[in-house]
Amino acid sequence: MIEVENLEKTYRRGDGTPVRALKDITFSIDEGEFVTVRGASGSGKSSLLNILGCLDTPTSGVYRLGGEDVSGYSDEQRSRLRCRRIGFVFQTFNLLPRTTALENVEVPALYRGGHIDVDKARALLDRVGLGERSGHFVTELSGGEQQRVAIARALMNDPPLLLADEPTGNLDSAAGRSIMQLLSELHAEGRTIILVTHDEPTAAYAQRELLIRDGVIATDRRQSASQTATEQARR
Amino acid sequence: MRITQAFRLALRTLIRNPLRSFFMMLGITVGIASLTAMASLGAATRQETLRQFKRMVGTYDVINIVPGAASTRGMPSLTTVEPSLKFSDAAAIADEADGVLQVAEVQNAFDIDVKYRDKTTVSAIYGISANWLEMRSYFIETGDVITQEDIAGVARVAVIGQDIVTGLFANENPLGKQVRIGNVPFQVKGVLVSRGAGPGGSSLDGVIFIPVTTASRRLFNRDYLTTITAQLENPQRPEPAIESIKAVLRERHGIIPPGEDDFTISDSRANAEQVAEVSSTLGTILTGVAVIAMIIGGTVIMSLMLIAVSERRREIGVRRAVGATRRDVMMQFLIEAATVSVIGGLAGIALGTGGAVLTAIRQDLPPVLLWNVIGIAVVVSVGIGLVFGLQPAWKAANIDPIDALSS
Repeated sequence: MIEVENLEKTYRRGDGTPVRALKDITFSIDEGEFVTVRGASGSGKSSLLNILGCLDTPTSGVYRLGGEDVSGYSDEQRSRLRCRRIGFVFQTFNLLPRTTALENVEVPALYRGGHIDVDKARALLDRVGLGERSGHFVTELSGGEQQRVAIARALMNDPPLLLADEPTGNLDSAAGRSIMQLLSELHAEGRTIILVTHDEPTAAYAQRELLIRDGVIATDRRQSASQTATEQARR
Repeated sequence: MRITQAFRLALRTLIRNPLRSFFMMLGITVGIASLTAMASLGAATRQETLRQFKRMVGTYDVINIVPGAASTRGMPSLTTVEPSLKFSDAAAIADEADGVLQVAEVQNAFDIDVKYRDKTTVSAIYGISANWLEMRSYFIETGDVITQEDIAGVARVAVIGQDIVTGLFANENPLGKQVRIGNVPFQVKGVLVSRGAGPGGSSLDGVIFIPVTTASRRLFNRDYLTTITAQLENPQRPEPAIESIKAVLRERHGIIPPGEDDFTISDSRANAEQVAEVSSTLGTILTGVAVIAMIIGGTVIMSLMLIAVSERRREIGVRRAVGATRRDVMMQFLIEAATVSVIGGLAGIALGTGGAVLTAIRQDLPPVLLWNVIGIAVVVSVGIGLVFGLQPAWKAANIDPIDALSS
């Protein structure tokens, strides 16, 4: 699903001094994996996520998504990739204001071309447990509900890869748990999920954890079956 | 993203930000309203001016040739003109000049006493050819016109205007009655339809028409004309015929360069256009005002769109993240600007046209609906939206999604 080889990312600061955010990173993620990425702020975690999400391009190295080398893709090509292959879930939900839940879920379909399948958007809202709230404006929804809408939106174009950046960071623990449960279910349905988090219990839902420190992968740890038992039990 | 989807998205955004949309539309609405109002009021005034002028001068397809140089002022009359235009000149124009359909002769004088029994009035007397009344669009209410037989027979018959009827014949039927013009008796043959008031507000109905031969030989005893009226083949382009007539008359009068014409040719259409032009100058100035209002309206759209782009950075970031290309974002904002502008424009057309029609009705002008102006207004408002929306849309399209999402 994802192969990263010798990935480098160097930024220039305002005064022109280069900052190496990612240094020679190599790893791969198989289809259907549920991987946690952890790291302190400034570790290069965000830079890695931006590249994996095709929002940014690496300075050097290779990024293959679904076997396709996308590291040299243009802005337009990456837009199309994001549209069809990647679903984003953000810490701050990032729903459009003055817009209903249903309209938010429809947004990715706008950019796929063709007509918008409203029934599918409704079905997705049903899937995340918000079937009766589809006509509500986002400001009328709780944080947990807003994040569910965001997850439904991420699924609208059926992307094989979900990128969730601290999806429970702005939620209380109960809402956070139900969001993690939803993500586990989506993983169980066969989606590849990359989850960025600080939270140990949240990280426990995944089978594998990448720890990033100073732009390199410090540890790449697979969890034993017993550790993911809670998640297995839900299948 | 399809255009229709972008349009629906734009409408949704505009409806959900009503105050912002209102201010964006305001300038365009005012500009387009004044533009359409000016254009249709201007057209109504112009139409009315031309209509009035036509009522005064009759038809447009005739030109008048009067004796004397162009500097001679006022209406020609036997007592004021040079005796330079002869009956034979009229015949020569009919025979020799190009582009002339027919020619009429006129010999007229003003303030002639006219008597019937014990009543007296004054009238302008026009000795005319048989074709003149028709050429100048005078119509008979009762009785008959001056005929070719009247001309040939030097008949003492008269066709009188409405003022003469009221002045001399209180309750009587004037037809067949004998009036004395000067001291010559004439029989009333016909009565004209009223033409109303002339340029200065004076009546156009204080006239009597008699055969030009009778006028020349029995009334005035003069052998020259005050006016030759010529009907043109191509009144839209009168210049060639006018040149041809000039050439004929100059040759007959023995004028060689650098000698000046001893006659003046007036083109009634040119006069009418000149009168109408005066009122349209005002229209041009007001159109300029409308254009400035629209530029201001466009600038308002641009600045409010720029503010909106800054406020909606996060929205733009989300749209980019879920797959919008730069082009999609650009299109979304361009179509939003064009939509708000065209809605403002349509409101302006409704206001402007409605206002113009109301004003026209109140001022007794014919209400004019100018479809071409409405079409132009629509195109202009779309254009303003696109032009002034370009920079905000460009800015929106080039927002970096990573920055937008992390802000």
